[in-house]
Formats: sequence, C-alpha cells, structure tokens
Amino acid sequence: MVESRWFRRAGPGIVAIGALALVASATLAARDRPWVPPPCPGEVTTGSRQPGSGAWFRIDPQLEAGERRAQRLLVGVTGRVRPRAMTLDPESFAAGPFGGRILVGTDDGVASSLFVLDPAAGCRAGIGTTSDVIRRATLSPTGDAVLEFRVHRRTRADLGVWRRSLRDPQDVLRVLPPIGPDGRFGPTWSTEFAWSGDGRALAVQSCGETACRTRVLDLVDGSVREVADPDLGELVGLDRERVVVRAACRGLPCSLYAVAIADGRRTLLGEAGAAVVTADSAGRAWAVFERDPLGGLRSIRLDGSAATDLPGDPSGLRLIAPASRSGSATDVVTGWVVLGPDGRLPPEGPYGPRFRRVPDGPALPFEEVSR
Amino acid sequence: MIPFHRRARLAAAFLAVLTGAVVVPVTAAHGPDPVLGGGLFAQNQSLEFRWRAGSEPPTAIRTAIRAAADDIGDTRASKAATFLYDSAGANPIGYGPGATCGVNGLACFTRSAPSGFTMWLREQGHVFDWGTLRWCQMYTTAPNGCYDAETITLDEFGHVEILGHHVNYSDDRDYEDAVVQTFSRTKPNDGWNMHVLGRCDVATLQREYDVVSWSTPYSTCLDLDTALTLSANPTAIAYGGTMTLTASLKVVDRDAYDRLGGNPVSNRVVRLQRRTLATTTWVDAGTMAAGASGSYALTVSLTRSSEFRAIFSTPSAEGLNGDTSPTVAVSVSACPAPCPMSAAR
Repeated sequence: MVESRWFRRAGPGIVAIGALALVASATLAARDRPWVPPPCPGEVTTGSRQPGSGAWFRIDPQLEAGERRAQRLLVGVTGRVRPRAMTLDPESFAAGPFGGRILVGTDDGVASSLFVLDPAAGCRAGIGTTSDVIRRATLSPTGDAVLEFRVHRRTRADLGVWRRSLRDPQDVLRVLPPIGPDGRFGPTWSTEFAWSGDGRALAVQSCGETACRTRVLDLVDGSVREVADPDLGELVGLDRERVVVRAACRGLPCSLYAVAIADGRRTLLGEAGAAVVTADSAGRAWAVFERDPLGGLRSIRLDGSAATDLPGDPSGLRLIAPASRSGSATDVVTGWVVLGPDGRLPPEGPYGPRFRRVPDGPALPFEEVSR
Repeated sequence: MIPFHRRARLAAAFLAVLTGAVVVPVTAAHGPDPVLGGGLFAQNQSLEFRWRAGSEPPTAIRTAIRAAADDIGDTRASKAATFLYDSAGANPIGYGPGATCGVNGLACFTRSAPSGFTMWLREQGHVFDWGTLRWCQMYTTAPNGCYDAETITLDEFGHVEILGHHVNYSDDRDYEDAVVQTFSRTKPNDGWNMHVLGRCDVATLQREYDVVSWSTPYSTCLDLDTALTLSANPTAIAYGGTMTLTASLKVVDRDAYDRLGGNPVSNRVVRLQRRTLATTTWVDAGTMAAGASGSYALTVSLTRSSEFRAIFSTPSAEGLNGDTSPTVAVSVSACPAPCPMSAAR
C-alpha cells in the first residue's frame, strides 16, 4: 500500500492509458494464442491461501451455432501477468483463486482431471484424474487437500464430496455422502462450495431447479448441519453461524436472508441484486448487495444490524458476485468487494474494476488494494 | 451497463421493489399464481425486447422467444404487458455466455417494473449435475429429454409480468393450469410444450392488470363473488301497463380481488323471475337483454302486483359465482271496469 500512494494521487490518467494499451494488446494476444502452461516444478502443493495476490480468472462457454463446444478460461495477475487463455472441455470449472492459484477441473467425456494453475509462475500442477465426473472442487484452507463433488459418469447420480490429499494421491476419502432425494427440491441441478471466512466451515449447496439445500461441514469437529427449506435458494456465503442465501427466486431482485445454521431462523437482509459475503478488517462477516438498479450498495452484518448504504459507482460498475454466478473471481484482500462492468471481471482482467471497502465504502482501483 | 438515460427510471422502479422483490408468498394449492414483489407494468404496456449484443440467441431460439412473446399476447386475457421484438428495444434478452442466472435453472430474468426487464436463456450444451441441457428447438426432430424453449420463455415472460411459480396440488394433477412452474418438464411429459398461459396464470394477470373488457370471461382459476341488483321503473303501474326491470351485475368489491373488485360484468345470462304478491313460487319471466357496463333489462306487462328477482347462475366456464338479486315489488292498480279477468273468477 505504501509504495502505491504516489500513484493514487498522480497516476490515474497514466494508469488508464497504460491499462488500456496493455489490455488491448493482452486481450488480442490471449484470444489468439491458447496457453499451454508447463508443469510447475517441485511438489504438487498449493501452499497457503493468503489472499490479495491479484490472481484472477474468468470462464466463458464457447459456442458454435448456439451450442456449447468448449469453455475458455482466462487467467492473469493484475498488474503483473497478462491474461492467458486456455480451452477447456464443455464440462469444466474454475475455482479460487487460492493464494494466487486457480483450481481447474475439466472432463473430456471419459475422465475428469484436476489441476492447479499458477498464473504468476506461468505453470500448471496436475492433481489427479478420476473416471467419475468431478463437477466442482475447492481447496482446503490448509492448502494440502482438494475437496471434490462427483457424479456418476453414466447415471449422473450424486456420489458425494471427496477429500483428496495433495501430498498422498492415494489418500482419497469421502467426507459427505450423496444428498438424499427430496421432492421439494427435485433433481439436483448444481452443487457449489463456499468457505466460511475463518476456513473452518465448508458449505456444500445442492440446488434443484429453483430451491436449494445447504449442508455445512465443520472441518474441526466433523459435524454436518443442513439447511433444507424449499423457500430458500442460492448460496451467497457464510460465517460460522449463518449461511446467506437468496429466496428460491428465478429472478432478481430477490430477498436475501441470513439463516442460522443451528435452527434455520431467518433474518431478512434486504432485496438484493448481486450479493457477496465478505469480512471486515476485524474478521466480522458482512453481506454486501446491490439495493437498486443503479448498483447502489448496502452492507449489513449477518444479524441484520449496522446497515450502511453506499452510492452506486459513478462509472456504472456493478458488484461482482461469487464465481458461481459471475463466472469470474479475483483474490480479494479481506474487507473489500470488487466492482466490474456488468458485474463480472472483464475479459482483460481487473483493469478498470474497482474495490470498495466494507462497510464504509471508499473506492479504490484494483492496484491500490491488491497487494 | 445501464445507459444513463434509463437510470433515473430504473431507480424509481427499484425503489418500488424494495418492499417485495421476487418472493413467493404462501399460497394455497391450485389458486391463482402467487405474485412477485416489485410493482406492475402499465396496463397493456408494450415491452420491446432486443437480442443482447454479444449474446444473441441462435435462430431457432430467437424464433421460440418471439413465439413466446406472441403466446403471452394471445392468451393473457387481461391488460397485462405485451412483448414485442424490436432491434432497438430497451430490454435485452441474452443467450449463453454471460448469463448471470446463478447456479441453477434454464433461464432467468430481472424485472424493474414499469421500466423494463432483462432475460437470459442458458446455452444448448450447458452442463448441470443431472446432465446436459438440450433445447428441443435445436433439433429437426426434438429428442426426448429436451426442454421447449418457447415454453420456458413463456414462463419467464410470466415472471416478468408479476407471476410467481404456481403452487400445484401435491400430485401435480393441476400442472397444466400454469405455465409458470417451479419445475420445468421435458419432452414427452405432460406440459412440456405449453404454448399458452394456463388458467391460473391468467387468473393472476387478470387480478393484477384487469380484464380486457367487461365482457372478457374470468379465468376459471378465480373464485369471484358477484353482486346482482335489480330496480324497477316505474314501481307502480296501471293494470296491464308495462314497466322495465333493470339488473346490474358486478364483481363484489373486495381488496382480495385487486383490480377486479367492482368490475361490471357484461354479456352474461341474467334471468328474471316473477311471483305474484302473496305467493311463494317463482316463475321464469325471461332472459334480460344485456346492455352496457353490466346492465341487463327486460320490459314486462303486468296485471297483478308482483315481486321480481334477477338471477345470475354460476357459469361453468368462468370463475364467477352466481348471485340472486334482492326482490323488487311492483304494484299494479286495480282492474278498471269492465275488468277482463273478473268474469273468469
């Protein structure tokens, strides 16, 4: 932060011009030349998950005649590494960044492969392959294991959540069973992971066509608690005591609730467009959401207190939702949220997006808070 | 990004949704669809849509979306908003990349009534946990397991209007009473290709936006009480004279009926019945002629003082409950000599 203060005063114009030039060339380069990263040297480990690396990704379906044929993954490090593009199978995903690294899964119709990209080092580290379909994965807070959600390749039946050690490839253990059938939710359309800010609790959300169930796994004591209310929908985030979810809406705005994991008690946080859960500098969880169509924000504690309204971004940038909704993510320093055009990171990466501090709302360009 | 010239309107609109948003209230099974929060569009408001730049649907899906827009216009039976493709339309509909639909569902929308809306459809080949999305329109011969894009878009247009998901009976036997459903169906399951609004969709649109005219049939998913009144003019006539009985049929004015409360009900069948004073048996006096604004009239000639009542029987083809008017007495003066009936007595 210190070394960038001069930049804050004198450099916005220079940044804008420079970024535009960099963006133009980088974007062209990224689109033209698929990136085939070399193997990362040394042990397959992802290290710690210290945030603020500036790593980012964006994933988009690639269509031919209206049909998904592949996905394009763009990765980079703001201010340091130009965007690089990889082509993934149609069934693929990216997660993170985790301490500057991005977890990627791709399924070629025969096997699912997991690997980690290190955009700063420009390399790739393979994690493993299964004949089941790995639909989603996330990295453990300690960085030594991957948690995978799998389905059966032929039947697409839920196979549960599996923990795979990064130190011992043979150490693979199922940590959550398949979620049971429940007609109120119907077949499962999507499964997503989210971590509490302290990394102790992992939420595994299984969504039907509209409504969702959330199982919260406590990694310390191994307990699993479930929030299963057909009035509730997509997961936004969580802390140790509450999950923040939308109502079971198919559109926006939509009611946003903090739901007590222990007893299901709901606290209405507001009617929200895009929404995220983040933590302030003291580690307290906040929900931040768009409260109007201009992108005006509200930050609020998960108990419904301390609501603070912030004006919309004057240049029209919108709050970037979690990757499950926005298809993009960057490594955010604790206490900040990211704004971007159309609520996503642009293909050229976070040049232009801005950060807002939670809960009081000062805004800064990405370079000011990303390292 | 939202153009500047639309922001003020959107801001006003969004303020309206802060109290409700897209929340499904508790509703009894098989009633009219519940409503979303966020206010209404103007009656008969035309909402022009365009394809979202960079996310244009393929031709087959465009055709389905346009057809769905026609479907809602053709079957709304109300003054709900209409949808029309216009390359310069203010409301973008996108397909595939960039869809900010969240993690589940085939399509999604935002609504900022009365300013506008957005809509997204997932792309063919989008992969969910259960498998791969296939739109029926993307095939020459639609395979089993595909979703009908016209049906799904009609569902989304319904949401944009104000409709929440229909609450079905537990066995879903009323599934086809609404196209706006929580669970979409694939070919060849019943309801997979509904190209008209269901009667419980229409019921809510009528309640929220009003009927097209006083003659428009009310959806059979509604259960509206009516009020029938009757007046005579004059109320006293000479022997053998004529007088006109006029009935007025309206929907009872209740808050729960929203815009329908107090509506005149025109061009229905209202019958007039008569009984001689001091008798108990009603006899049919004829069908009253329908007039404007829920009025019905019949002119009769009387030789005895009588009571009249009008009857609107519960129709089988619409959601109105019948009613019987209070009685109206008409006095007839004594027969002047020579009285033609006196000999018979």
